[in-house]
This record gives sequence, structure tokens and C-alpha cells, in this order.
Amino acid sequence: MASIAAAQVQEVRSITRIERIGAHSHIRGLGLDDSLEPRAVSQGMVGQKMARKAAGVVLQMIREGKIAGRAVLLAGQPGTGKTAIAMGLAQALGPDTPFTSMAGSEIFSLEMSKTEALTQAIRKSIGIRIKEESEIIEGEVVEVVIERAAGGGGARVGRLTLKTTDMETNYDMGAKMIDSLLKEKVQAGDVITIDKATGKINKLGRSFARARDYDATGQQARFVQCPEGELQKRKEVVHTVTLHEVDVINSRTHGFLALFSGDTGEIKSEIREQINSKVAEWREEGKAEMIPGVLFIDEAHMLDIECFSFLNRALESETAPVVIMATNRGITRIRGTNYQSPHGIPLDLLDRMIIVPTSPYSHQELREILNIRCEEEDCQMSNDALTVLTRVATETSLRYAIQLITTASLVAKRRKATEVSMEDVKKVYSLFLDEHRSEQFLKEYQDEFMFNDGGGDAPQLMEVAQ
Amino acid sequence: MKRRSNLIEVDGDNQDSFEQILKANLSKIYKQSEMYKNTAWYRSIVDAEKSCLKEDKIKKIHYKFDDDKEMVEEYNVDTQVLLRRAWKVKGKLGGDGKWVVEIGDPIPEATPTIEVADIVESKDQPIVTRRNTRVNLEWRIRNLPYPIETYSISANNDERCIIVRTTNKKYFKKLQVPELDRLGLQLEQGNIQSSHQFQTLIIMYKKPQPLLDMEKEWFEELKKVKPIKDMPSDCKTQ
Repeated sequence: MASIAAAQVQEVRSITRIERIGAHSHIRGLGLDDSLEPRAVSQGMVGQKMARKAAGVVLQMIREGKIAGRAVLLAGQPGTGKTAIAMGLAQALGPDTPFTSMAGSEIFSLEMSKTEALTQAIRKSIGIRIKEESEIIEGEVVEVVIERAAGGGGARVGRLTLKTTDMETNYDMGAKMIDSLLKEKVQAGDVITIDKATGKINKLGRSFARARDYDATGQQARFVQCPEGELQKRKEVVHTVTLHEVDVINSRTHGFLALFSGDTGEIKSEIREQINSKVAEWREEGKAEMIPGVLFIDEAHMLDIECFSFLNRALESETAPVVIMATNRGITRIRGTNYQSPHGIPLDLLDRMIIVPTSPYSHQELREILNIRCEEEDCQMSNDALTVLTRVATETSLRYAIQLITTASLVAKRRKATEVSMEDVKKVYSLFLDEHRSEQFLKEYQDEFMFNDGGGDAPQLMEVAQ
Repeated sequence: MKRRSNLIEVDGDNQDSFEQILKANLSKIYKQSEMYKNTAWYRSIVDAEKSCLKEDKIKKIHYKFDDDKEMVEEYNVDTQVLLRRAWKVKGKLGGDGKWVVEIGDPIPEATPTIEVADIVESKDQPIVTRRNTRVNLEWRIRNLPYPIETYSISANNDERCIIVRTTNKKYFKKLQVPELDRLGLQLEQGNIQSSHQFQTLIIMYKKPQPLLDMEKEWFEELKKVKPIKDMPSDCKTQ
């Protein structure tokens, strides 16, 4: 009996979890209380209290939306939670505030100039909330059918039957729609609205007709009447679009090829100017509201001097978002020059930034983080195994220890154990080298590797290539 | 008391005033038949910038209105029936806009639309098309398998639409009648007829006299728009 229940629970899980587990998927916010004081362990965040508190102040600044073009630099050693803080900030801001995340190296492309890539990233981080008439489907869900297409292609086909008190219609759904239906956990008896243009689903509540199967609903289930009349209505809805999206819509007049490639290429500056003045007009008329968002540039030391000087200027515009950069470099060469500078960022830009440092985690914090990661990866770990892992994390690196969680849990599964024991961790520790041991190994056996007689030339060549 | 004296005064030149009243009434009757000329719609199509293309038996008129709206009409030259009327609808955020067909068969998409959110009515669901004849406004609702007695079709003047209901609660539709709206005419239940065959429900609304008059007059008016001789080719070679 118990095993059946367990199997069912597993099945439900596999349906609801559609996101893959990423390095930062355990982060659900900044872990601050209402007065922006950091809690010790909350929302996947552990320790790093000062940095989180600082991020909380930045969060407040962004929410108020008054100050444009501030830059924040998260600086700290590798594996001290810089990206995690940025992700937490994005989560705390909510889905309505645009948050663009990119790595510094992303802007180097043959198809687009560096400044164009940066401009697009900046404009992706500014949202406009605008009222627009849109086709809305509003009805009670009769049936959701999702099946894999025959022929092994693996494409999912979905059919959704909706009704009002007067009519009933079947809809075909594509993969994106199916995903968002699953994410919202839409089931028969729910009353939902779907914005046909954006595909956004909004759950209004459960239909009164389904009020009897109360055990299937949560406590806070809201009951609503089944809508009447036509399923599809035209309604004024508030959309949030980014400036970049408006740019793309308006620059697509030439040819339909842009539709297929998906790549929009460079957008003319005239179009941007037109849109800027249009948006300013809307704002004056009260038709639209501007939401300055966040542009997060990870590995900011990968940007070169041109990008930095461009950012200097771009930050001064009143439509600039808050730019958050993260770097793990100390005093190093600024890319594209021969000058050294702290964090690899020129001093004039550094001067415009507020710098938030992150510091290495303590032993207890590491243990807490590893524990959270174990939970996130559905891995049962015995206490002493966790102790060993924490030791590994202090002696090598947090990232390496996190790698060991997955590998150790796979080893444990091989021997059909439900819990990861100390032996499993030891086994994977001996199977996989950390960076330090690998270096040791190389030093020891350097003579037997290829091209080892090249000597000291190689590093210098690298420098030039950079 | 005062009013009375007024009456007597009018009575004084009875003969003349009677003639006047008659004239006024006559002109009213005359005006009524042409009252469409006073509607905002008629004035807007008169003022619109029009261009004309002739292809075999089809005459295409492109209207550009003062408020930047665009409309295209296609007439059959022989029968003088309007085959298609489409409006260019632009999004608020700009962009090229797309054609929305008011009357006639929908325009097949040249390119598959990728960006539209991926939820669409299944292919077997009812679909409404407009196809007017010389005397009727017509709606055809395809893919409706239920027998004729299922449907109730009623004119609703409060919402200015024709409402189609089904007794089995499978289909419901409010049909707008823009032609009557534009002339400010009332919907009349008596003008509605319907038939059902080949899974298609056909709803016919008899065109009221003012609409017939206007359409006839407008077709004559359109003859003044000279068709463009050298047609711009769609595929320019650069």
C-alpha cells in the first residue's frame, strides 16, 4: 500500500517539475525579512549576510524605480555566491520586473557589434507596462489531454477543452503552452483565462460545479462561477513588454526571414529613437508606465575597454536599468589594454559603482549549503557523509563538493541504498580529482605529457592571444 | 393664452403653410432614402483616399482614412456584390499590422505564423465566415454538426448583435453586424432566416432598403475612381 502511494507521489513530481536542476535552482529569493534584514538560512540562501543586506538595499532601489543607471559590482572569490545573490535578486523582484542575465563573453559575436549587443541587453532590461486590447480565452477546463506524438518524434501534442455555460470548444496546444499548463497545475474544473497573444495563463479559481470534490482541493481554493457567453473575448489587459521587444516588432518590416532565423540582427538607431519618443509620449499621456529592470553581467572582467566606456555613457541615460556586474578577479589587466586595474574594470567606471564584496563561507555555512543542495537534488545523505563532504568543501572548493553530491548519490543508487553513506562520498572522492589534486598529479607526471618541453613560452602566448 | 394667439396667427395664411408643410415632409421622405449620406461612415469613405485596381472581373478598392486606418474592398464587377472587405489592424506597439477580414473568405497566410502563442482552436471547431449576397448579409458557420432545431438565433438590439445559441450548450456566438451599425439601423428579428446543411449553419439577414440604396449608390460612386493602369508588381527585382 505504502509503495503504491510512494509511486504515485513520484509520478506527480515528475509532472510538476519541468525545470531541470541547475546550479542555482535552489535559490528562491534573497532570504530577507520585511525590514530587509537577512535571515541566516532562508529561500536557499545561506550566510553572506552583509552582501545580502546590501542586495536588499539595491532591491529597494530598483523597486522604487526612481534611480536610473546605477551600477553595482559583486566582487568576491570564486564560489562565494555572487551569481546566487544576483539570481536571488531576480527572484525577489518577481516576474514583472525585467531581469536580463548574461555573461561578459556573450557580447563577442561576429554577427553583431559589441555595443549593439550591449544596447540590446540594456533595452531588454527595461519594461513598459501598457494597456492593450487582447484576445482572452476565459472558461472552465473540461479536459486536458497531453500525449506524445506517434512516430517517436517525441513532440508532445496537447488538447484543451474549455467551456462556458453556453458553449464548449477544443483547442490544440503547442509545447510551450503545455509546459505552462503543467507549471500552473491546471486541471479539469479550474476556471482559467489564457491571453492568446502571450500565452499567459491565469487561474481564477475552481468552478462551483466542482465544489463537491473538496478533498481534491487545497484549503485556500477559491470557488468561482463558470463564465457565461462566448469563450473568446476582447479585453483590455496590461502587458509588460521590454523596449527590445518593441524594437524588434517595429524593425521587422523588412522580409519575413527574420521570423525564421529568430535572430534580429542589428536594429537601426533611428528606429530606437522613434520608439523612445513614442514611449515618452505614452508616458506623458499616462498610457504606459516604465519599469526599469536589472541587467546582470556575470564575469564582467571579460568585457573590454570599449564596452566599459560604452557603459559609462549608457548609464547616464535616464532610461538605463540598474546594472549589476559580478567578477572574481583581483587586480588584473583590463581587457583590450595593457593597464592593470582592480577587478579588471577601469577606475572611472569603478567610481560610478557601488561595490558589494562577498567573503568565503564558514564551515557551518558550507554544511548548510550542501544540505540544501542535497534536498534540491533529491538525495538522501547520512550525517557523517555530509560531514565528510563539508570537509571536502572547506579543503577544496564548494563547487567540487556539490559535484560530489550527484555522483555519490548515483554510486549509492548502484548499490541499491536509499541513503548516501560516507563510503560513497569517499569512493567518488577517489574517482574524481579536484582541481588541486589534478594539479599535483600534473606536476608529478609532467615529463610524461605531450609538449612538456615547451617550457615557459606557453603562458606568454596566451597573454597575447587574450 | 399666448399660444392660442399664435395658432390663430398661423391660421391666418393657411394656404401657404400647408404647402410648406407638404414640402418639408416630402423633403423628409426624400432625405430618409438618402439619410445614409449623413452618417459618419459614408462621409469617411467619401473623404478617404481611394485607389483602385482591376483584375479580370474583380475590382479592388483601397481606402486610406484620415485616422490612418486602411481598408480594402473587392467587388465583383458583374454582380456588383462585395466579395471581400478587410481592415488593416495595427498593434499598439507598432509593427506592420495584419489584415483582418470582415467579409469574405479569410486570406491564407503566406508565412506560417511562428510567433503567435501556441494555442489555437482545433481544426474541427466551428468557424464563422461572412459572405454577402446581393440581397442578404450572410454568416456561414462551418463544422456545426447539430440539426437545425438545436439553434436559436435572435436579434439583440441592446448589444447590437445577432446571438446564436444552441440548446445543447455546445455553441454560442455573438455576431456583430457592422453594416447596420454604420448606418445606425435597428436589427429586426423578422429579417433573419437560417438554414443548415453539410454541417454548415447559414444565417441570412435581409438587407434593409437604406443599406441597399447606399450600396448601389456607392458602387456608382466608385466608378469615378480610376483604376491604376500600370500595376505595381509585387516581385520587384532589385
